[in-house]
Amino acid sequence: MKAASSSTHFFGIREDGQHSHQQPQQPPQPPPPQELPATASSANTPHSAAPPKKRRNLPGNPNPDAEVIALSPKTLMATNRFICEVCNKGFQREQNLQLHRRGHNLPWKLKQKNPNEVRRRVYLCPEPTCVHHDPSRALGDLTGIKKHFCRKHGEKKWKCDKCSKRYAVQSDWKAHSKICGTREYRCDCGTLFSRRDSFITHRAFCDALAQESARLPGGINTIGSHLYGGRGMNLGLPQLSSLQDQAQPSADLLQLRGSSGTGQFDHLNAASFRQPHQLAHSSPFFLGGGPNQGFGEHPQLLKPFHGMMQLPDLQTNANASSSSSAAAAANLFNLGFFSNTGSSSTMNNGSDAGGQSGHLLGPDQFSNAGGGTEAMSLFAGDLMSNHTDTTMSSLYNPSVHAESVVPQMSATALLQKAAQMGATSSGGSGSSMLRGLTASFSGGGGGEISRTGVGNENHFQDIMNSLANGNGGVFGGFNQGLDGMGENKLHRNLSMGGFGGSDRLTRDFLGVGGMMRSMVGGIPQREQHHLGIDTTSSMDHSEMKSGSSTRSFGGGRLQ
Amino acid sequence: MMPLLAGVVVQDDGSSSSVTSSPLETLSLSPPSLSPHSPWVRELKSDERGLCLIHLLLDCANRVASGGSLDPANAALEQIALLAAPDGDAMQRIASHFAEALARRAIRSWPGLCHALDSARVLPLAEAAVARRHFLDLCPFLRLSFVVTNQAIMEAMEGERVVHVVDLNASDPAQWIPLLQALSSRSEGPPHLKITGIHEHKEVLHYTAIRLSEAAERLDVPFQFIPLVSRLDNLDIERLRVKTGEALAISSVLQLHSLLATEDVGGHLRKAQRIAPISKLTLGEFLEKDHLANTHSTSAESAARPPTRIQSFLASLWGLSPKIVVVTEQEANHNGKTLKERLVEALFYYAAVFDGLDLTVPRQSVERLRVEKMLFGEEIRNIIACEGLERKERHEKLERWSQRMSMAGFRLLPLSYYGLLQARRLLQSFGWQGYKVKEENGCFMMCWQDRPLFSVSAWSCNQ
Repeated sequence: MKAASSSTHFFGIREDGQHSHQQPQQPPQPPPPQELPATASSANTPHSAAPPKKRRNLPGNPNPDAEVIALSPKTLMATNRFICEVCNKGFQREQNLQLHRRGHNLPWKLKQKNPNEVRRRVYLCPEPTCVHHDPSRALGDLTGIKKHFCRKHGEKKWKCDKCSKRYAVQSDWKAHSKICGTREYRCDCGTLFSRRDSFITHRAFCDALAQESARLPGGINTIGSHLYGGRGMNLGLPQLSSLQDQAQPSADLLQLRGSSGTGQFDHLNAASFRQPHQLAHSSPFFLGGGPNQGFGEHPQLLKPFHGMMQLPDLQTNANASSSSSAAAAANLFNLGFFSNTGSSSTMNNGSDAGGQSGHLLGPDQFSNAGGGTEAMSLFAGDLMSNHTDTTMSSLYNPSVHAESVVPQMSATALLQKAAQMGATSSGGSGSSMLRGLTASFSGGGGGEISRTGVGNENHFQDIMNSLANGNGGVFGGFNQGLDGMGENKLHRNLSMGGFGGSDRLTRDFLGVGGMMRSMVGGIPQREQHHLGIDTTSSMDHSEMKSGSSTRSFGGGRLQ
Repeated sequence: MMPLLAGVVVQDDGSSSSVTSSPLETLSLSPPSLSPHSPWVRELKSDERGLCLIHLLLDCANRVASGGSLDPANAALEQIALLAAPDGDAMQRIASHFAEALARRAIRSWPGLCHALDSARVLPLAEAAVARRHFLDLCPFLRLSFVVTNQAIMEAMEGERVVHVVDLNASDPAQWIPLLQALSSRSEGPPHLKITGIHEHKEVLHYTAIRLSEAAERLDVPFQFIPLVSRLDNLDIERLRVKTGEALAISSVLQLHSLLATEDVGGHLRKAQRIAPISKLTLGEFLEKDHLANTHSTSAESAARPPTRIQSFLASLWGLSPKIVVVTEQEANHNGKTLKERLVEALFYYAAVFDGLDLTVPRQSVERLRVEKMLFGEEIRNIIACEGLERKERHEKLERWSQRMSMAGFRLLPLSYYGLLQARRLLQSFGWQGYKVKEENGCFMMCWQDRPLFSVSAWSCNQ
């Protein structure tokens, strides 16, 4: 059994390597106070003073009379200093060990703390950089120093499972987890919140929802309340009905979106000013509905494109076709603030097949198109950005400079495009799987990408061969409009092996051999094919996709 | 070649750049050089990067599937690593998880490596629970499923005085508390509700029991929770203690697909697994089962085959004569025979899932990272890197599940329009944009944009 260290008094600091001092059996209490004030001096010679009453020293201002003890981190964190010699069970206090020894029929003796000899002990934090490492700022309690050391200098091993707060001290963690989540707010609609702010936000709009007989999609996104950095923009105007009828253009929206690239409403505001395109009159409206307008109690940012989605409803400009607004709305939905949406409007403007080619998506909730369409249109829009009307370029350029967010396609859109870009002749390539399985992917939507591929089998196969063998070859075909130099280097460096397009084994990354042949040969037939589709069939989203991809391949000739 | 290339590839005249130099000149003879020092890697726009990643992934899958040396797969994975990131955009995240899955797949022939890696990453129960909680919070699917399930149960149990619900995975009291609420506000007063919760771990059941009992007390619903610690694949139906004549509802949320796991390596020979006792099949049923098995299996073998685990499980459920069985499953075909099939399907499926998260949850959200890694990442890993009995994420589409249920004797119970309304209202009230609920042949599809991701269907016994 470890013997308790004797409490000899001597000047200075006693280092305790092996085991620490003994913990008095009663809970730590203020020692018999000394009359001396807490001065910055190390432990001095003890002297007895009659303690009139107990006084607790300020933490970090130890009683100068006290014995200063510095422990190593290991000793400090040692939980079981007293070991039973019989069963090796560890105990934190000697008293507990003594009681345990009774069970082994060993001689035991409970020591009493002699009040006359009681020694006020103060402890130092072993962390040298800590304030409490200095004897003049020692802490008076062993448990206290342990917790302090854990909290400040230890790793937080305890984590609340409801929220994400971490704690280094188990008691802190327990205390917190008792409280965490117990304050719950419930809305009338049954939704539960742990945060007051999100609850308030939701409830205000939930009532509005209820009043509007649940017809409107203007619900607050409580999850999204912290989106976009929680900027203090409140665009939610739930009573501004829904996007259901998308006959309204949202070029304004597009402008706004196009010009920011981020979720910054201010950016959008500026953008709309900068580009008073066709719906100039609507921008004031939008801005009027702008930040913190009449929604002072909802300072959090609702999803910015919430408000923007509702915007088309506010404007009844009949100029633009329904498709553009639909596209815009869809883009809003799908792509947040990405500027590519500008491209869709442009496409609509310049498109050949009336509103069809431009008709990408309706708003999510109401349309039947998948995420890919706008992606294709976006993509095509990118291509056309350099040679389409100024609006597009003006829209596009600022977005390019908006450094924080790059125009993005959703992963789904990327996959669909990749599938479209190639099929493989040798059934081994995954891309053929992509193509073939996009049929299943489109699900019951009716439109199938593979349909469009029928007329382009050769083209696809050639491309996909190169793709199957290498990577990124098709980029050359697509991205010239965007960043030509970058692409070139990419292609160059991705390529390895020769131009032997017919040699399926070479890594024809560029797909140059195959691509060229097929592009040259395939384009006319594709164009016809797609034009045929465009003009003859209804606005099915997959056809839109094919339409756009045709455009992309054809270098925007359809424009 | 070059002029053609320039003419074809450069599409817009306004572009200042054009391919003027011959790619041939710069072709290196060494392996492709997406080196870390390539400036264009950084210049890549996200969609280009995304496309690049897709092709890299497919390529890597090809290499991994073709077996042999690991070097080609390694090269592909290296390139993917340059572009993928678990905290980037949706495609980057998907790519990073798929890359990990492919890497694990690639080393399958080194079981020692596999085991060493797997033991280091086994998800402790608490973490899995946390991941599931995040899934509940960040994606609407579970909540939608609960809403629809509860509505279907409510409708089926109209007029009943005693309702017994069997939950095949009772890990979340959030599923049943709304049911308790609904029952307590029933016009004829609440029935006596018994919930039998099945789960592998008793701590989870304990937690669920406490929460539900508290809620029932508050709502003044006579309630009883019966925990049943068991795995689904060796569930003893007798332990469910369903009394005859009891109005029974069974809820299965994403549970049935793991029962499809078999040792497919052997092909047609299925090892006799421990199956729950099943009711005797009539000849008609056996023939039906046979027919279906032959229709679906790709290996041509003799008609007589012991019933598979799923068949016997469904049959035993049917034997309990439930009033309603509500099944929620992933709407995807991740049970294809070949790796590439599954990979491509999974790419599309998880692309939609990750897109949904990308557009509704901020990028830096820790919860999103966790659910992507610990829930979806694990599913992806299972789909891609595991085989045989290990591969539990055998998602199948609703039409296949319908066939299985019909074969087991169940009849489709179309879900009510009111359930659809409630589901949509839930979406609205949470503000989950982009997600939709669609009705299809009496079942509901929970979609992201237009891609169905989960299906909910209700079945009842023919009797």
